[in-house]
Amino acid sequence: MSDIVLGIGDFGVSNDPNATIKTFALGSCVAVVLFNPALHAAGMIHIALPEMKVNPTRAKERPGFFADSGLPLLFGAMARIGCDKKGKGLKIKLIGGASIMDNNEIFNIGKRNLIAIKKLLWAQGLGAVAEEVGGTISRTVSIHVGTGEVRIFSPARGTWTL
Amino acid sequence: MKEKTDHPLHQEIAKIAVLSPNASRLLEINSKPDHSLNDIIQLVKFDAALTAKTLRIVNSAAFNLLQPINSIDRAISFLGERMIVGMVIAESAGEVFQKGLPGYESYPGDLWRHDLFTAFASREVAKYAKEELEKELAFTAGLLHDIGKFVISSHLEGTAEKAVKVIDSGEASDYLNAEVQFSGHHHAELGFELAKHWKLPEAIQEVIRYHHEPSKALECYKPLVYAVHLGDILAMMSGHATGSDALQYHLDGAYEDYYVISPVELTKIIADTETQFRPALTSLDNSQEN
Ligand SMILES: [Fe+2]
Ligand SMILES: [Fe+2]
Repeated sequence: MSDIVLGIGDFGVSNDPNATIKTFALGSCVAVVLFNPALHAAGMIHIALPEMKVNPTRAKERPGFFADSGLPLLFGAMARIGCDKKGKGLKIKLIGGASIMDNNEIFNIGKRNLIAIKKLLWAQGLGAVAEEVGGTISRTVSIHVGTGEVRIFSPARGTWTL
Repeated sequence: MKEKTDHPLHQEIAKIAVLSPNASRLLEINSKPDHSLNDIIQLVKFDAALTAKTLRIVNSAAFNLLQPINSIDRAISFLGERMIVGMVIAESAGEVFQKGLPGYESYPGDLWRHDLFTAFASREVAKYAKEELEKELAFTAGLLHDIGKFVISSHLEGTAEKAVKVIDSGEASDYLNAEVQFSGHHHAELGFELAKHWKLPEAIQEVIRYHHEPSKALECYKPLVYAVHLGDILAMMSGHATGSDALQYHLDGAYEDYYVISPVELTKIIADTETQFRPALTSLDNSQEN
């Protein structure tokens, strides 16, 4: 079994049916998970913030850190393993975007990440088929490339599928 | 600060090794409002091992320098006071930071990563204070804010599932409250006891004690306590938490009395923190293996 582990701001794709793509401890960050059932191809990105303009240097070093610099690259990488360039045929799932308790508008970065991601998807005519977002829990997420099964783990709360 | 030696866990805390003389002196200098980088340079220069380590860190791959730095003065100017503090604390209190926290279902190194991120984040937050704040002290206080987790962890073993349940059901208001329900103590309180044992500067003791309840801090320390309160929250939001207590705390909106931060500025704080945190984490990790 080969595991691809993504850090914050990383993205990765695979069409190895034995592979799993995984990212740890999403707080206000959001994982966008892609799966093409026909090709058994999967991809994931771990997005931290909505817009690259706040730190262009960081965006250059790690474009996946921001929704606007990262998402196009994820779709590009999926295209290189045979998926449609515009994302046709992809099942999209969104995980994360949590917040601290008593969150205020300024600190609700999870929500702003989700809005930014959804806007970018909508602009391509895409939308999520499933999401587990918001709340006040940390989430670790993985997708098994062969089956497309998405699993979520949260410390002291166990594991479940989405 | 009133001395309290009758704490029920006093004996246990007294057994934890105290900081090295160098670490104590460094923290003392660091907490003085009128100190300069030169004071730090002098301290490092008188310690051959520390000098060697500083040079090794500045020239490590993490900082990707074009030309090696051979002078200790230049090395410290480049790294900043914060990296010296990080280095010395990692060395002097490595036991506290590097052990896993079974009480939180958290792994070795998690607490160090959480604290190091909190340190950089607190320092970034401090830049937005309404009244000038000692940024390097915010870093140090952020680095030390959760030392109580090391003490409380063994008293919380087996409670993580129950803790999140009572929080979800509203029987506990937050993780701090859940800790009290299951162990009779919470990590900020025990951190404060350890801070007294370590004779940490008063400002840092106050941060450790009230980082989850900043409104209770002494007025003169509130800007600093709120900086770490926010830095800690940003660390948990950014995925650098310590297991089961991730995000299970309250944000005190009264920070706005001391800080002006716009939504975009907050995202900038996170991006800038992440940029500084990465090379610091890598270079300090490598130096511990040596
Ligand atoms: Fe804490
Ligand atoms: Fe913390």
